[in-house]
Amino acid sequence: MNLKTLNARHIWLISLHWSRHAVRSGAGLVYLMIALVFGLSVAHAVIMPVEQLMALQKEQTGHTDPDAIHNTIITVGRPVAQFVLGLKSMAEASEQATAQEQPNAGDSRMATPGAADPARLDPWTDFLLEDRPALLSAIFLILLFGMPFAISFLAFNQVTGDIQGHGLRYLLLRTERGNIYFGRFLGTAAFSTAVTAVIIATITLYLGLRVRIYPAGALAAWAMHGFLALAILMLPYIAVCSILSASVDSPFLSLVLAKLTIGGVLLLAILSGLKWESMKLIKYALPWGWQNHLLHPEPAHWLGAGLACLLYTTVFLMLGYARFETRDL
Amino acid sequence: MTPAVSIKGLSKRFGHTQALNDVSFEVPSHSIFGLLGPNGAGKTTLFSLTANFLKADSGAVEVLGIDTRYISRLQGRLSILPQDAQFQRNVPILDQLVFFRRLAGRTKPQAQDEVLHTLDLVGLQSVARRRVGSLSHGMVKRLGVAQAFLGHPEVILLDEPTAGLDPANARQVRDLVRQLQERTTILVSSHNLGEIQELCDHVAILDHGRLVLAGSVDDITRSNRECNLSLSRPLQDVELQRLVAIRGVRSIERTSSPAGNLNHDARSAEYLVKLNLSAEEIDQDTVIAALLKAILDMGITPRRLTEGHSLESQFLEVTGRPPAPASG
Repeated sequence: MNLKTLNARHIWLISLHWSRHAVRSGAGLVYLMIALVFGLSVAHAVIMPVEQLMALQKEQTGHTDPDAIHNTIITVGRPVAQFVLGLKSMAEASEQATAQEQPNAGDSRMATPGAADPARLDPWTDFLLEDRPALLSAIFLILLFGMPFAISFLAFNQVTGDIQGHGLRYLLLRTERGNIYFGRFLGTAAFSTAVTAVIIATITLYLGLRVRIYPAGALAAWAMHGFLALAILMLPYIAVCSILSASVDSPFLSLVLAKLTIGGVLLLAILSGLKWESMKLIKYALPWGWQNHLLHPEPAHWLGAGLACLLYTTVFLMLGYARFETRDL
Repeated sequence: MTPAVSIKGLSKRFGHTQALNDVSFEVPSHSIFGLLGPNGAGKTTLFSLTANFLKADSGAVEVLGIDTRYISRLQGRLSILPQDAQFQRNVPILDQLVFFRRLAGRTKPQAQDEVLHTLDLVGLQSVARRRVGSLSHGMVKRLGVAQAFLGHPEVILLDEPTAGLDPANARQVRDLVRQLQERTTILVSSHNLGEIQELCDHVAILDHGRLVLAGSVDDITRSNRECNLSLSRPLQDVELQRLVAIRGVRSIERTSSPAGNLNHDARSAEYLVKLNLSAEEIDQDTVIAALLKAILDMGITPRRLTEGHSLESQFLEVTGRPPAPASG
């Protein structure tokens, strides 16, 4: 493994060529469709009840009250957010959600949000639901969980298809293997980032222009943070796919292995963690254990989570590069 | 003079199959070097090792004096037409080749000019903006040849460049190869022995991963050169013995005329004349002249004299098998 032979111009050209033709290769088109459908469906599922509530409120009172809507979102979203962030177990979260369904309890929360609620003591949830646009926070939390599964549809075939079809042989006498490997990784990451930007921009514009319960500045700033979080989170998962793509000769096998690796680590951590507490640590084999911290109120946390993602990316990329550099092509 | 390509003790195994076994030979600079062998002999493996697509189990390859393990040092100096390598199907031809030239440091306009010129050489300029997926097999093959010729490399490896091409396009590729010989060393693998004999000045024959013969075409065929001779009447035994006694003639055998040949004259007789020029150290023209003179002296009219497939005979002799049918 010799990183000195890497050529920045070649990496740039390969990345550009790869991202430009990613849609034409099929995998890019599939990912674009899946990511758009998933992202916009999540947004729809989160925003639609709020729009219905606003319509009901307008029908009953003749106008919409953004504060009341906001408070309802906080009340309903709090147990879910706490569960997703790992701050409460599923049982505790559903107990709290059931309590909120009692009419009196629900009314009192809407009137004075969190006034005497012990859950208010949790600053992370407060930050996501009260200090930042809660609808965007909810969408980000779901996207942070779901997008790693979707990204493998884009990243599984970075080199494996060209290994199988020997297409790389046209390139191997024109540039170093490392330039191909890192160039294609960057091209894939650029394509993924562009798709993420489209999704976040669409959702943010809709919230700003149609729902209009958050100030535009706060919405834009939080959208940018969420976009960066998602863009950085995709890197280690793309890098995992890079290893698999460089290691097997079949694109289909690469896709299956990517799905099994990304989903399997989380599933194994959850299932084995039910019996053995220490087994929950398996989730740190991938960024699963860190990724929600990208939305943490403390800069030290989200910066740390971002650095962790970059560290994972570096390690995975080096492992894949070592394999790609020495294998028969 | 430093050889353009030097192969030293090269071995490669795939599982239980020994694809190459201790192969060594040298390719002289500015030669057209033919690599021959039956299917599975190891020709493509040898090319792939030379281009560093595959890692050798042992041995080394040097191209222009550079060990191909450091293949980046040969960027722009070595190119290859790989066998069965696929282009990106949904990307226009021009985009793919321009991308290759941009990796060599060209600006986009420079790259486009070079690519269009090269595509013109192989008759593909009119389809430059089409996607590879829409091209015929022959056109894709010519595209592969074009990418190998891009940028004036010093050494070009062509793995079956005319396979799948119609005769006119195969001829065009052969002509291109000849034109390049002045400034380029070219290694060609082919099943078409006639093509190799016509095109190459040096050959190596591989069989079961081993090198069985290497050298100049002239040297290799000297001991086994063949001519097809058509005479106005059959030779009598005495006449035959007189001809065989000519210096440089090894044997003369009567052959049957090709079935279904409507132009075949029933009174004429076909002979295969085998020459052995190595022992006598005389040139072919002298022997042929002596042979024809003797035939005319016998009152027989030579109706046709053509060069035979001397390389094919040699191939058969060293491999024990006929070559695969020529596809180009």
